[in-house]
Amino acid sequence: MSHSHKLVIKRSSMSRPPPPPPPTTNKDQQHQNPSFQEINIKLIQSGEKERLKELLRERLLECGWIDEMKALCRAFTRKKGRNNVTVDDLVHVISPKGRASVPNSVKAELLQRIRAFLASTAD
Amino acid sequence: MSSKISGRVSPQPCPHLLDFCSRNGSKPFRALQDCIRVKPPGGRAAIRREPFEVPRCGTCDESSRPRLYACVACAAVFCHAPPIHSHASAHALSVPGHEIAVDVDRAELFCCACRDQVYDRDFDAAVVLAQTITSTTSTSGSTVTQCKATGSQPDNLRKRRRVDYSLWDPNSRENAIIENHSIPLHDATNGSLISSTELPWGLRGLNNLGNTCFMNSVLQALLHTPPLRNYFLSDRHNRYYCQQKNGATRNGSKNSRFCLACDMDAMFSAVFSGDRTPYSPAKFLHSWWQHAANLASYEQQDAHEFFISMLDGIHEKVAKEKRKTHSPGTGDCCIAHRVFSGILRSDVMCMACGFTSTTYDPCLDISLDLEPSQGVSGKSSLAKSNNSCNVEADCTGSSQNCGISTLKGCLERFTRAEKLGSDQKFFCQKCQVRQESLKQMSIRKLPLVSCFHIKRFEHSSIRRMSRKVDRYLQFPFSLDMAPYLSSSILRSRFGNRIFPFDGDEQDACNEVSSEFELFAVVTHTGKLDAGHYVTYLRLSNHWYKCDDAWITRVNESIVLAAQGYMMFYVQKMLYYKASEKQAASWCDVRK
Repeated sequence: MSHSHKLVIKRSSMSRPPPPPPPTTNKDQQHQNPSFQEINIKLIQSGEKERLKELLRERLLECGWIDEMKALCRAFTRKKGRNNVTVDDLVHVISPKGRASVPNSVKAELLQRIRAFLASTAD
Repeated sequence: MSSKISGRVSPQPCPHLLDFCSRNGSKPFRALQDCIRVKPPGGRAAIRREPFEVPRCGTCDESSRPRLYACVACAAVFCHAPPIHSHASAHALSVPGHEIAVDVDRAELFCCACRDQVYDRDFDAAVVLAQTITSTTSTSGSTVTQCKATGSQPDNLRKRRRVDYSLWDPNSRENAIIENHSIPLHDATNGSLISSTELPWGLRGLNNLGNTCFMNSVLQALLHTPPLRNYFLSDRHNRYYCQQKNGATRNGSKNSRFCLACDMDAMFSAVFSGDRTPYSPAKFLHSWWQHAANLASYEQQDAHEFFISMLDGIHEKVAKEKRKTHSPGTGDCCIAHRVFSGILRSDVMCMACGFTSTTYDPCLDISLDLEPSQGVSGKSSLAKSNNSCNVEADCTGSSQNCGISTLKGCLERFTRAEKLGSDQKFFCQKCQVRQESLKQMSIRKLPLVSCFHIKRFEHSSIRRMSRKVDRYLQFPFSLDMAPYLSSSILRSRFGNRIFPFDGDEQDACNEVSSEFELFAVVTHTGKLDAGHYVTYLRLSNHWYKCDDAWITRVNESIVLAAQGYMMFYVQKMLYYKASEKQAASWCDVRK
């Protein structure tokens, strides 16, 4: 299932985030903008990632997104037959639709939270 | 393909899991127990070797993949993001016996070879235990040792001694006694005699004694409540015997002469006598006035208030006579509670530490709010994606999307976890201070007959006004209460676990079904202070409108369109389908 960490703090469009850069142990990186990996680790270690996930779950529940995904899964399972469906199948089928249907307001809110967090923990 | 445990279907393990368990036993799963972290308090379980470990894929060093799995055999962590990356699958293929892994963020077992979720009872029990411990440990240091998910069993539901059912075949002497002392009911086997114009047995109008439609409507529903009807018609409360007993005891108390159960008994006898002329429940009204002195007037009253009041009146009298202690949960005290009493479970979870306080309360009915669905404006963005998804969304499930209020929607809202406002902080035993809390209701025990009361009358003391909510509510003919049971609600809190939750074993033992059938609807039309109550009854597959003294047969579409105020559902197994001479089918697809 898609997670909030797929959002990238760059000026690219919000609807199609580019893939994360490959990890590098180059020490020079520390003086430049933090990499995606570094941000991710900061979020996890501070516990902020878990809080963001909870917030995201709450928002997606409120707007009916979770019910929508459940319905999609049910429909797919009904079509294929209960014993012919795996978790991977379901993830594969609903991920693109799921990502596309996250409301922009939710994306904006999460992004704002991440920005605020990074600003408050800047070295 | 799957076996039934505790009445619930559990998936069979895949061959890799079976193989793993046979070779390693449950040792690896128990080792995982130490790695279960529950954060935030009362929240989800994750797998971490160290509390603030950042899991990374052993092959590509990525920590940001959506799914990371730890191999249960060797504890190595791998990513799984098919079809591009799946180092977890690569590991499973390269090292035999290392197919089983656990999702580090969800604490769910996964078979990397089958690419599907698998379940293990011991593992699930360990996860639930870990999540439960955080929500029940108090500062005194006592921990939960039993592997039951939160809350101890309510006293009145401890295992009761069961008596084996034995068939009773009356002998000829007993047969003679029965025949000589009873009046035969309408012979149901002679179905051919029932013409379509003839009303079914037990239908009789009730005269309005002066704004008493609130009473008549409820009485009509009760006269056709199967367990209540059976109780009185089989002479379980004999009014002659009861009055004789009361006459004998000269307590001097005037109230001892009034017995609502006796008046009900008289009413049942009159209504089921076959006489079709409207009956005047004057004696019943008078008795009820004695009981509810503050409501004794010829003014219009609230039907629901009357319903609760008269059940209470029956209880007071009958329970006192039987000298039964007030145990409304089991319904041993009186017939009113036996029929209508259920048990509600309330969980209040402190949002700071996760400590959950559980209470059980008996209830005679469930009052539901009829608010317009929240977040309707937020749906606009989903509406567009709806069209592109090309899938029929379950409209009754996510009723918010459709904009119609449904009974199921109300029940979903009733059992939803609700954040108590900052002005309603709950005192947390663990924190020893008032904290913001999350409250969730669920049904611990279903009654024989469920009465749903829709809160259509709002009385606001602040605004010093009352108003009526006319909003239409859709209600089904058949209702499955399973999703609102405590076992279901708890299960959804802990995620996908095979684990017996509060109420699971109980229900399995009793084989109590959660399926209910609608048999009566009390409706209200008009304004708050100038309105009229009417009851629709479902008998022998037909609907009948009971408007005080006038009974008419109506089409079910009229009932479906009516403004439901109180809906009465009876457990399906108690709902005897009388004669089904008409071709109409029972399976009502409209839910």
